[in-house]
Amino acid sequence: MSLINDPSRFKVTTSFEGRSAVLGLHGRVESLAAFDLWAAMKGVIDRHRETVVLDLTELEFIGAAGLVALADAEKSFAEAGVELTVRTPSRLVKQLLGGMELNEVTRLDQALARLGHLGREQAGGSSHSSNRPNFEASCEDLRRMTAIPTAADVVDGALRLVVELAQISVGGADGVSVSLLRHGGLLTVAATDETVMEMDTDQYATGEGPCVDASRRGRWFHAESLETETRWPSFTPRARALGIMAILSSPLTAFEEPVGALNIYSRTASTFDREDQQTAAVFAGKASGILSDARAGATETQVAARFQEALRSREIIATAKGIVMERESLNEEDAFTTLLRQSIKSGVSLLDRAESFALSTGRPKTGCEHQQND
Amino acid sequence: MTERALNELDTFRQEAGLSHGELWLRYFEMGGMSSGLELEAFLYGVLLPSAHDHDVIAHAINERFVELGGNHPVAYSKDVWSDSKFQTWTGGE
Repeated sequence: MSLINDPSRFKVTTSFEGRSAVLGLHGRVESLAAFDLWAAMKGVIDRHRETVVLDLTELEFIGAAGLVALADAEKSFAEAGVELTVRTPSRLVKQLLGGMELNEVTRLDQALARLGHLGREQAGGSSHSSNRPNFEASCEDLRRMTAIPTAADVVDGALRLVVELAQISVGGADGVSVSLLRHGGLLTVAATDETVMEMDTDQYATGEGPCVDASRRGRWFHAESLETETRWPSFTPRARALGIMAILSSPLTAFEEPVGALNIYSRTASTFDREDQQTAAVFAGKASGILSDARAGATETQVAARFQEALRSREIIATAKGIVMERESLNEEDAFTTLLRQSIKSGVSLLDRAESFALSTGRPKTGCEHQQND
Repeated sequence: MTERALNELDTFRQEAGLSHGELWLRYFEMGGMSSGLELEAFLYGVLLPSAHDHDVIAHAINERFVELGGNHPVAYSKDVWSDSKFQTWTGGE
């Protein structure tokens, strides 16, 4: 479909400067771009160039799949004995890092350079889109989006890139790691240093800590100051002993299920502000995208179960809309806007807000509203 | 304000780590009526959603950001928020 395959969204140009080949990446690197990028790289390697310059100056955006593609490219060049240098512009870095001003452009290059040896088996299966509307189309989308198999080591490489980038861009970050649920337990698959690795391991050992909670409960946890933190009594003293004073853990999800956490550690208490939290959320989103892409196709049963759940939520929200329409004589869209405003104001999700509305029907307004707990 | 990219919504979607399919499901849960293909067209700025549709999409993405520890980076239409707490979405201009 034209929307998805629109060639203007990504382009690779190849030019040669002496013995160097320059691969210019333009537009946006997303899932499909990975294949174009691979084809261009293959062409360069086949021509036996000794050095390749990856020019990212014209790149507008790099998504999760793009990070995987870059990690993959780095590995392929290393295997072919090709020396790789990266030209990174501030524009890309700004996009990548959520619009922040950053002078440490060269550190992005270092992060890429430090990726080291990664596996390569970025698999094919090019995308398509269905013309069928609604359910079927999106069911198809859902399968397509979750069916790009990626080798585990490429995924780990891309996650290492994410932790490097997160460390550069989150103010006050002294170390970053990614923990994933594997075989029923948590495992650190990427960490910027030994202390961070130890911090994660201590949390797994004590079974508590922001990383454990974010991974299992699928929401973020922020330990602003370990000096005053009371939630994780066994773990906190161990962290303090290593000089860690603040931790921010954002959940990672694949196909809407919690699968791990992005953990950011600092030696300074109260160092993570709202902007840092937002940046961490962006990186957690990128890492989740990588994990979702890597997940080898959701089964029919999983897709069906997710649809069932979505239908149920839609019914609850529709019921709540009906109640608001009736109570406040509003049309459907205005009733939705009312619910939306309340959800934002109260910091409660729209579904939870709707659920408490739906449960309150038929009862006199005596303040004995039921709150559903799970 | 700097110039707004046509595919701004899609950029937010990617930053939130949501696939098109996942976002459509969340949009559908909130009562969204458009197909997956139409949703993609909204995201890429090929079709302009109604203010209501825009708000549903914005909220579907924002709730995801909140789960991740973020704020509400995607602007709503003025129907939802007219004060200055959040940026206001003004359609494709």
